[in-house]
Order: sequence, then structure tokens, then C-alpha cells
Amino acid sequence: MNGDADEHDTPAEVDATVRTLRRVAVGYFVVFLVAIGGVPGLTLVLDWWSQGRLIGGMSPSFVMAAFGLYVFFFVIGLAAATLSTAVESRMLGGPDEDPTEEAEHQ
Amino acid sequence: MNTASLVVLVSLLIIVGGLALAIRPRGVSTLDFYLAGQRVGVATNASAICGDYFSAASFLGVAAAVYVSGLDGVWYATGFAAGFVPVLLFVATPLRRFGEFSIPDFLGRRLASDRVRLVAVGVVQLIILSYLVPQAVGSGITWQLLVGQGVGGLSPYVTGVIISTAAITGLVAFGGMRGTTWTQAVQFLLLLAALVWLAIAVLGSGFNYGTAVADLAAEPLVNPVNVDGQWELATTPNRLEAESSASFGEPGARYGGLGQFALIITLVMGTAGLPHVMNRYFTSPTGTAARMTTVWVLGLAGLFYALAVMLGTAARALIPTAVDEHPWLAELTVDGVLRVPEHALPVLGRMYGGEAGLGLVATGALIAVMSTIAGLLLASAASWGHDVYERHINPQATQRQAVWAGRAAVVVVSFASAGLALGLRPESLTALLPSIVATMVTWAFALAGSALTPVFILAIWWRRTTAAGAVAGMVVGALAAVAMFVAGAVIGDRGLGEMLMTPTIVAAPLAAAVTVLVSRRTQVPEDLELLWLKMHGTAADRHAMRLARLTIAGVDRQRKDRGTGDARR
Repeated sequence: MNGDADEHDTPAEVDATVRTLRRVAVGYFVVFLVAIGGVPGLTLVLDWWSQGRLIGGMSPSFVMAAFGLYVFFFVIGLAAATLSTAVESRMLGGPDEDPTEEAEHQ
Repeated sequence: MNTASLVVLVSLLIIVGGLALAIRPRGVSTLDFYLAGQRVGVATNASAICGDYFSAASFLGVAAAVYVSGLDGVWYATGFAAGFVPVLLFVATPLRRFGEFSIPDFLGRRLASDRVRLVAVGVVQLIILSYLVPQAVGSGITWQLLVGQGVGGLSPYVTGVIISTAAITGLVAFGGMRGTTWTQAVQFLLLLAALVWLAIAVLGSGFNYGTAVADLAAEPLVNPVNVDGQWELATTPNRLEAESSASFGEPGARYGGLGQFALIITLVMGTAGLPHVMNRYFTSPTGTAARMTTVWVLGLAGLFYALAVMLGTAARALIPTAVDEHPWLAELTVDGVLRVPEHALPVLGRMYGGEAGLGLVATGALIAVMSTIAGLLLASAASWGHDVYERHINPQATQRQAVWAGRAAVVVVSFASAGLALGLRPESLTALLPSIVATMVTWAFALAGSALTPVFILAIWWRRTTAAGAVAGMVVGALAAVAMFVAGAVIGDRGLGEMLMTPTIVAAPLAAAVTVLVSRRTQVPEDLELLWLKMHGTAADRHAMRLARLTIAGVDRQRKDRGTGDARR
């Protein structure tokens, strides 16, 4: 049992949640690694990536390193956080009544 | 330095110092001193983490690395920002839910072993010292440029190191985590404001980012070198294509094919093992709050580093054409190119805001240094004071004694780092490294990513991790990182040497493999089930949320009752 007497998780619930969260984390991490390795990696195999011109005089490689990857990090982080929180609230704790509503009913 | 710079510098430092003293912890509880009572909200903690993380390496070093190496310097910014993605995915939430005082404390409790705790203390102190020294170097460089003169016969560099170290040591020793949290949050906002102001000033003057990159990329990249005591410009060779010169907009100025990946992996893996940053997660009220804090940090880091990269580019493009208009640039440059790349942002500040602009940017740099030093000293204090003094030297210590042990640790560690920084002379290293501050911080990331992060992630996500496995993993990771780095320093930073100088790409998988192999042959802690529930269950979070909702409902009801009473009267 964990936490306060009126809030608890069972080992089976937590195990199942950990397995799901681990899959989510590893999945997002693989996508992250592909992106972060891909930006410098493409410079080695694709001339256009570092010599072409996209915005103003910037190459696609420079655009990604200077702006694009930061936007990607934020988006992937927000998506992973939202999904992980949703997984936890579905798989742990069971139905959780709002105590303020309980108080209103009394 | 004139009156305007001095007024800006002193005013901002007084604001930050006054804030720390005003909200210092009044009690002597270790929970308050080390963890600010575990009640730091998402936005405040995200700003404080940024203040903690954005050091001299981020503020001066990223712009300097871009200035001197072009696209290869941008990888520093990418790696620093990317480091928070693994933190979010693997570390932040379970770390907070487990809820201890420090990384060694977390590992010691999770693996039920004092040996793990003590080995982790050793690794953490090594990381902290590796990170503190470049911060002190950054403060010396900034003082040199901003004030230009020493005190009591000391050189400007030495004076800067001593004054900034002494000031922040005092603030941390008496402000604790509560005072440090708020000063770091304010320091980050001042830092961001300085970058935003500079970006607006530069763009407002007609600077076109895209065109500047194209113009810089059209010519070979040149940098100053000191030959027989004389400075001259030399073409930077391209490490990706032999016999050709490097270009600002393309990779190759600093790293070969392997070096780029090795640097990025080192920075990405290192963040999750930085003690001063990870300790901040223990101050969040819940695990979910720690997770959302990291999302905020990712957004703020993206904005910060995108601006730093743009300003490094702007400095490269604008300074050569400004030498005629600003004669003071002559002594800092060689044919329009800065001798010390860390001067890029302060010089831009002076070009666009005069002495007050220089004061603002230089104060930003000092603030970056001080807020990071504060976080590192607190992490060191928690590690010595809590993990060593309270657990091993004096288990019967009162709260007051434990807090004073932490304060003593702050003083000793800060003087050790200042001593090491004084032994270095940045001028002698500038010719060897793209940005001395950013490079030295990379060593700390390499150690953290090699020795701590793999063990940390395995301890959180793999039930079979054992104390013996963790000790073996930390020792092998640290030794491999140091050995590779020394080998890299001996054979030079070309080819294989690039990877040896940023060793995490090899040392981290090695540490993980050793941890797994040894763990498979040893016993897991007896109360593993309870530890697992504490780390991954959400009952404590739900309980905290329930209390918060009840408190809010109670306050609302009180307000409603008071409103009804007033109406009756």
C-alpha cells in the first residue's frame, strides 16, 4: 500500500502501469533519438541538407538546429507528458470522486 | 567600466540578493533548507530549474560556440535543450514520487544500500566540482570585460572569481533552497529579459538572420590565432572534408562525423545525471507537477537557446562592420573577429545599449554564473550534509547541526572550485577550445551521463537492479569517462579523439551493461514491492491533490459564508 489510508495502489495495478509507461517512454525516446541523430546525420549523406537554402539563406540543417528541434522537443515532451498522465489516471486509483462534490452533497 | 554599467550591475545584484535574504528559511528544518518544504509550484520550479541549468555555458558559451564554429557550435544549444526530453520520459516523475533529499539518497534508499549512497556521493561531488570550475572561470572572464580592473592588487580575472564566489556562497549558506528557488527564478527571468532585449535591439537595427547566415556561409570561416605572440586570422579547416576550409553554415568547423554525434549524446545523457538540476525535482509538490514542470522547461529552454544561437550569429555578422564606428572594439578584435568568443554577447550589448547595455548583458552573465553556482553548492551541501554527515558521521544530529553541516560544505566546496578556477588562465586555452566555458561544462555532462544516468534510469525502470550492480555501473562509467577523456587529451581531438573527449556514447552503454550483468548475479532489496509502489504509484499524488481541493473548497466556503454574513448585516 502507498500513500494515505484512503488512497492506495495495488502491486498488480502499479506493475501494469509501469509496463505501459515504460513502453510509452521508450517509444517516444526512439522517435527523439531518430530526430536528434537525423539532423546531423543527414549532413553526411545529403548535400542538399547542409547546402540548400530554405528560410532566407539558411540551410535545412541550420533551420532545424536553430529552431526546428526546439519546437520538436516541446511538442514531443507535451505529448508524452499528456499520454503518461492519462495512462496513470486510467490505470491507478480507480474512480476518484471529487471531495468538494462529496462535501456539497452532505 | 563607467557609472551606467556600475549602476545596472549593482541594482540588479541588490534585487537578487535582497530577495534571497527576504525569503530565507526562518526555521532550521533540513526539509526547508534543502527542499523548500516541497511546495514549489510548476511555473516557479520551471523558472528555477532554468536559472539553475542556464549557466555561463548557456549564456556566454552557446553564443561563443556559434560565433567561433558556426553550425557545429549550435550542437551545444541542441544538446543542452534536448537533455530535458530523457529527464521528462524517464526520471522526473518517479524521482519526485520516491522523494528523497538528493541523488545519492535516492539511490541509497531505492537499492537499500549505504555503499551505493557513498559511491554516489563521490560521483556527485566530482560532477559538481567539474561544473563549478567553468562557472567560476565564466565569472572571471565577465569581470575582466565588465570592470576591467582588479581589487587590492589582484588581476580583474582573479577579482571576478573571488567576488562572485564569495557573494553566492553567502547567499546560499543563509538562503537555503527556499531563498535559492526564488532567486533562481528571478535570475532566469532577468537572463531571458537580457537576451530578449538584445534580440529586439539587433533585429530592430535591420539585422536579417537568414541573409546573415547565407553571407557568412559564403566565405571561409576564419578565427584569431596567436603565433609567436602576434595575433592573426587563420582559416578554420573543415574536419569533414580534408583540404577544404570550414563554413559558418555547414558542419565541419569543430567536429568530424563521429564528433557531432558524440557531443550530442554526451549532452543529452548528461542532463539526467546533473545533481543540482535533479535535486530541484524533489521540491515539486507531486510527481505529476514534476512532469509538467519539465514540459515548461522544454518550452523555456527552446526559446532561450534559439535566441542565444541567433545572437551568436549576429555577433559574427555585425562586429566586423562595427569596428570603425566603435573604436573600443579594436583592442578586443583581430580584423573584426573577437579574440575571446565569450565576449560576443557583452560586446553586442555595448554596441546597442552603450555602457548600460554592457552592464545589463554582463550582469546577465554574472547572474547565470551565480544561479548555477547556487544550485551546485546546494546539491553539494545536501550530499555532504545529509548523505554523509547525518547518515554516517553524526546520525543523532539535530536539525540545526545538520543544516550547519550543509552550510560548512557550501563554504568548503565553493573555495575549492574558486581555487581551481584561479589556477586556470582562459587566454591560454582559448586557442585550443571553441568556447572554454562550454567545453569544460561538457566534461561535467560526460561524467554525469556516463556514471549516473544509466544507473539512475535502470534503478527507476528495471526491478532487478541491485546495489552491487549500481556500484559497479557507477564506478565503471566514471572510470571509463575519465580514462577516455585523458586518452583523448593525449592523442588530440581529431578523429577518434573527438569521441574520446565526449565519451558518453561509449561509457554510458558500458556502465549500463555492467549494471545489468552484476545485478543479474546479485540479490534485489527485500522490500522491493514497497519501494516500487512508492516510486511508481500515484496514491501520494492523489492524496496531495485531494488535500489541495479540500483546502480550496474550504477557502471558497469561508469566503461564501463571509459574503452571506456581510449581506445579512
